[in-house]
Amino acid sequence: MSALLEIRDVFVRFKLRGGVFSSAGTIDAVSGVSLDIEEGKTYGIVGESGSGKTTLARAVAGLHHASEGSILYRGQELVDLPEAEFRKLRREIVMMFQDPIGSLSPRLTIKSLITEPFRIQGMSDRDLDAEAKRLLTMVGLPPEFAARYPYQISGGQARRVGVARALALDPKLLIADEPTAGLDVSIQGEMLNLLARLQDELGLAIMIITHNLNVVRHITDKVGIMYLGKLVEEGPTEEVFARPQHPYTLALLAANPEPDPDAQLMRVELQGEPPSILRRPKGCEFHTRCPFVQPRCSTDVPAWSSHGAVAHRCHFPEIWAQEDAATT
Amino acid sequence: MAVLDIRDLSVSYATPRGPLKALRNVSMTIPEKKITGIVGESGCGKSTLISSIIRLMAPNAKVGSGEVRFKGENLLARSENEMRALRGTEISMVFQDPMQTHNPVLTVGRQMIDIQYRDKLSKAEKRKRAAGMLALVGIPDPEARLNQYPFEFSGGMRQRIAIAMALMAKPSLLIADEPTTALDATLEVQIIKRLRELQDEIGCSILFISHHLGVIAELCDEVVVMYAGEVVESGTVRDVFHNPAHPYTRALLECDPGHIKVRTRNLPTIPGNIPDLVNLPSGCIFAERCDKRHDACAARPAMGTASPGHHAACHLIAERVTA
Amino acid sequence: MTDTAVSLPKPRSELGEIFHHLVRDPLGLAGLIIVTLIVASALFAPWIAPYDPIEMNIPDRLQGPNLAHLMGTDQLGRDTFSRVIWGGRVALQVALPTIAGAIAIGLVLGMIAGYGPKWLDNLIVLFFDTVRSFPTVMFALAVVALVGPSLNTVILVIMVTSIPTYGRVVRTLTQSLKEAEFITAEKSLGASTARIMGIHIVPNVLGPLAVLAAMDIPTVVGLEAGLSFLGMGVKPPTPSWGSLLNDGYSLIRNTPWLIVAGGIPLILTTLGFTFLGEALRDVVDPKLRGKGGK
Repeated sequence: MSALLEIRDVFVRFKLRGGVFSSAGTIDAVSGVSLDIEEGKTYGIVGESGSGKTTLARAVAGLHHASEGSILYRGQELVDLPEAEFRKLRREIVMMFQDPIGSLSPRLTIKSLITEPFRIQGMSDRDLDAEAKRLLTMVGLPPEFAARYPYQISGGQARRVGVARALALDPKLLIADEPTAGLDVSIQGEMLNLLARLQDELGLAIMIITHNLNVVRHITDKVGIMYLGKLVEEGPTEEVFARPQHPYTLALLAANPEPDPDAQLMRVELQGEPPSILRRPKGCEFHTRCPFVQPRCSTDVPAWSSHGAVAHRCHFPEIWAQEDAATT
Repeated sequence: MAVLDIRDLSVSYATPRGPLKALRNVSMTIPEKKITGIVGESGCGKSTLISSIIRLMAPNAKVGSGEVRFKGENLLARSENEMRALRGTEISMVFQDPMQTHNPVLTVGRQMIDIQYRDKLSKAEKRKRAAGMLALVGIPDPEARLNQYPFEFSGGMRQRIAIAMALMAKPSLLIADEPTTALDATLEVQIIKRLRELQDEIGCSILFISHHLGVIAELCDEVVVMYAGEVVESGTVRDVFHNPAHPYTRALLECDPGHIKVRTRNLPTIPGNIPDLVNLPSGCIFAERCDKRHDACAARPAMGTASPGHHAACHLIAERVTA
Repeated sequence: MTDTAVSLPKPRSELGEIFHHLVRDPLGLAGLIIVTLIVASALFAPWIAPYDPIEMNIPDRLQGPNLAHLMGTDQLGRDTFSRVIWGGRVALQVALPTIAGAIAIGLVLGMIAGYGPKWLDNLIVLFFDTVRSFPTVMFALAVVALVGPSLNTVILVIMVTSIPTYGRVVRTLTQSLKEAEFITAEKSLGASTARIMGIHIVPNVLGPLAVLAAMDIPTVVGLEAGLSFLGMGVKPPTPSWGSLLNDGYSLIRNTPWLIVAGGIPLILTTLGFTFLGEALRDVVDPKLRGKGGK
């Protein structure tokens, strides 16, 4: 069976604005990413600022143009698909944006906002009052919310409106960009539980973009770690968490300490700052910050290798694995 | 002795719907040469508390009662000029957004020399001190970097500069308001570690505000948990995080994703919303969302002692002691 | 930091909400009262004005204020109060279509410039700058000299020269809205450009435009008065505040009342609409409403 979404060697390239004396160059915000998302499954993409995760998501949603590579949705090529054609697919591929309130048009009521997909897709013959009520109930908001404006609701409630809006037309693929950003710890769980429940009920595939590994831990089936526009590790979520292969994954895991002052920290401490995408390091992109760096890392680009179901791009996973064993 | 002693502080904001009681009878002490964390979610009153301490309050804010004692003296009774002399020398601040705390058109060196205007040193000496501070917060090649402008630094570097500037005058108290929230997690841990080392070296007290429980656990000695404008629990990090006495603290710890090791499709949450701070409920502020709610909760609980140095505002403590 | 969602007043309509906050602001209330008075007196001029504004009555010429003529009479014995009231009608007849036209054209051009391709933007901005570089009064005088003075000429000239004011504001607002996340969100749902402009950009631009228009009305009224004062606007005997001022100016040695009668409505209009505009500015943005110390 082929996957719902097949991303193959995708590059998203941006032109740099040249100054008076300098010529304009290009940067690869996404630099050769391949991954598959199966129908009804959840895929988590984790990375920090500048990793290209949001750019990748927007390329899938047709909001950025992929310069190279292929994005197949049910076998249909999305790259270079004319907007008029893409519009038909927007019923099936929907996106939730980072800023819960800022992604809602401020002068529209919640009812107008969540029934907009029907109007946009020419289905305004539906009973929009009933649809609004159905959608609000589905995401756990009282029907009275229909009359409110975005500035009158909290961040958590706005998130639910975002979910209702995205799921209005029974999509097949939901792209959720930082679904818990700006939410308090006590309601982050609500959001993730809601997504998990709706996935079970509606059977949709979800692509979650986040900087926080903990967010994807419980609701994703597969997870991919991005660094400077490339995937560095990918595999079934449980295995990646249990046995991270790439030192960057380990560093991310360690950077989310548990709230226990006596916890034994298995800390992989990174050095310095993430390099600029304008000056992509040679060899392994991660070598400038890697605590286990070897001479070879600064010259050779690591290829994908597998460890069980987990694939990674690191020359020396065994070296740091031994150190890890020594410290714990 | 405590550097900062806040007693019974109540602050409200005038709104069209009536006074919004952002802080109610808040008391806490910030001990000398320790890092105290304040943890709480949106609407808990963290920002109001900080603005009351440094007396930079919104025009519609009103102090209802209480004292903010800094080294024994009530800051709320000080004149504006006296406060200004205190800010940046005795009490310094680091803010959440490192991209907006620096003047974009002046070099970092110029800004770091400017803030030493109170000291009678030559410019070269001031510059040397500035370079020394940059080195201290972990910025490589500080001499050269003094000539650069803020936009030439990354977010993490700028936050380090902000910390360097805040510590320049060797303050007795550093207030850090979510200083790492805007940064990536891998940079966050680097800065947290540096802050801990600097505190040891300089010997100041730090008031560290964060919603990130893991960071509080790692960095702080003491912790104060706030909810909807009240202090609900305080004590050493070990006491509070290992034996939370208030149901809110316990629920919050359970919700922290770093806490949940076993894979689950049903994550813990705290159902409900914080109460309306204009029309407050009469009893315990957390009662509506509390899973341990009982008859006593209709009355507002007093601060009780769970163990020496560990306090919580919950009826269950008093009942446990008497039982 | 304060959670606005915990309990809410009953949702009102957008206009109701604006009115509600406007009347609570002393400046807004004052502006609203003055503007209502001016508009009402212009609307009901035939019933309010005690005399026909162009009926001459030479025996009663150049009177000071008295019971029969509240503001006295002019050199032809016409009742000044009636002329002030009817003059308001002329002033609004010029101001309202002028500003409505300028807003309509400015809105369309500004949105095209702000949302459309770069070359179109450059072209429209060039047009704005060209129009703007003519001094309005000089431009008006030139046109009037060519086609002769009339109310319609005044309206047309002021309208054309006001287009860039609105167009530039709309362009800047559109440019920043274009990058807003909710516009990207709409695109991701498949919304057409027309829909994005009409439903999501226009409503967010209208608020600031209303403020600008309120502030602009006194300018336009003043321009009309100025042109009429110079004899290039409204033709006599039609009453206009400008022609009142003109008469008052030439007769200042005979009576001071005419110039006062022409000046006071101009000052009131300026104050009223400026107050209203200032207050509107704070109210049209829903996010700023009810915040701060008010």
